[in-house]
Amino acid sequence: MRIVVVSLIPTAALAYILGLVDPGLWARAGLNISRFILLLGVRNDLWGDALAAVYETLIISVFGVSCGVLLAYLLAPLASPLLAPRTIAIAGRILANSARTVPAILWAILFVILVGPGVKAGALSLAIYTSTYLAKFFYEALESVDRELLDSLRAMGLRGYILAFALYTHIRRQVISSILFMLEYNVRTAAILGFVGAGGVGYYILQYLSILDYPAVLTFVIATIAIVAAIDIASYILRTRI
Amino acid sequence: MLSLAQGPAVELRGVVFSYGDKRVLNGVDLEVFHGEAIAIMGRSGAGKTTLLKIIAGLLKPGEGVAKILGCVSSGSCFDNLKGKIAYIPQTLGLVEGGSALYNVLLAKAPEKPLRFITGIWGGYYVSKALEALEAVGLLEKAWTRVEKLSGGERQRVAIARVIFQGAPVILADEPVSNLDLETARDVVGLLTELRERGVAIVAVMHDRDLAQRYFDKIYVLESGVLRVIS
Repeated sequence: MRIVVVSLIPTAALAYILGLVDPGLWARAGLNISRFILLLGVRNDLWGDALAAVYETLIISVFGVSCGVLLAYLLAPLASPLLAPRTIAIAGRILANSARTVPAILWAILFVILVGPGVKAGALSLAIYTSTYLAKFFYEALESVDRELLDSLRAMGLRGYILAFALYTHIRRQVISSILFMLEYNVRTAAILGFVGAGGVGYYILQYLSILDYPAVLTFVIATIAIVAAIDIASYILRTRI
Repeated sequence: MLSLAQGPAVELRGVVFSYGDKRVLNGVDLEVFHGEAIAIMGRSGAGKTTLLKIIAGLLKPGEGVAKILGCVSSGSCFDNLKGKIAYIPQTLGLVEGGSALYNVLLAKAPEKPLRFITGIWGGYYVSKALEALEAVGLLEKAWTRVEKLSGGERQRVAIARVIFQGAPVILADEPVSNLDLETARDVVGLLTELRERGVAIVAVMHDRDLAQRYFDKIYVLESGVLRVIS
């Protein structure tokens, strides 16, 4: 209950500062939404294009996750002082943490400059973005393992990546859960990478928005929601079976 | 089979170890020969696990010398002992998510890293690992994940691993804690049978009757000093 009160006070104060308590604002918003709804509809002639764009988004996302997993698998042990020499671990962690502060959309802009607009830029940007997040998830999970397990494996002579790979088996639930989380996240992120020319459904949504073709926009949005929901459901089923 | 003429497998001379200001080991001397099994007893917090970790090379003594298979634990020669020390911690050190067979094969990962990474062990290693599991009566559960095994079965997997590892020194930290008496007898019996292969065994035990029945010597660690009681 205390958290509700604590949240309520800054919410109310900041809403006032931001001008969100103006009744006129909400009256205009209501009018606009009703106009917008009247304009809505779907363009049945665009379903083929929408599915192709969503497929492109899915390919970008899955590549981002699979390539990101490979990079993170190799990077995470280097960022953990339990598995790598201290100086390398500190350097690895600084590298992973700094790269993680860059949002996916900025990576996309960078790769559009490097390899040109299209799916290549989207796929590469998501691969880098995913690897930085998964590296963090992985090294935190690696560091959470029981010290006695670590001691036992070290006493047997396991070191470096061999030790890390054994520990990955031990933390595989967390590893799979993190990968599924990033897959869900990437599908959503990939949908907006097209706004900066990095391929996928976002490109088409932006184009149709610019000519105010709302039925076309809605067609692409519905296709995106369908694929995001499908990924979420598949991910949920997989999680329950780990 | 290892020769007793090689000298002690484990040799501690005046080992001192402290956690900050708290001195846990205060001049420990110990010799364990190949083919000998010794039990270490003592109160909780007496430093038994610390002592095992020093023998395993996981902790360096503050003072004194710890020699394992003739190598000083702080020396470069100790790094070459890869795979020659088996350490069974209280929690057994089993990798969950892996089958009993995976956990046994893991003992050869330092020697055969490529086989471990690819998972392609080949018939020789798999059959040897299965033999080790058969020796502890777990052949039919070789492909079962260790987290699905009972406490006693998990203890047996840990012992199958040290059999397969073929390490000349086995260190076991309370290997039968939380087991019923009958299972505890089986597990300690399996462990101490390895003496016949020339293995030196150092085990931390709580049950004095079991220790007297299966071990050659019993030591008590008290006030940081080790003394023989039986």
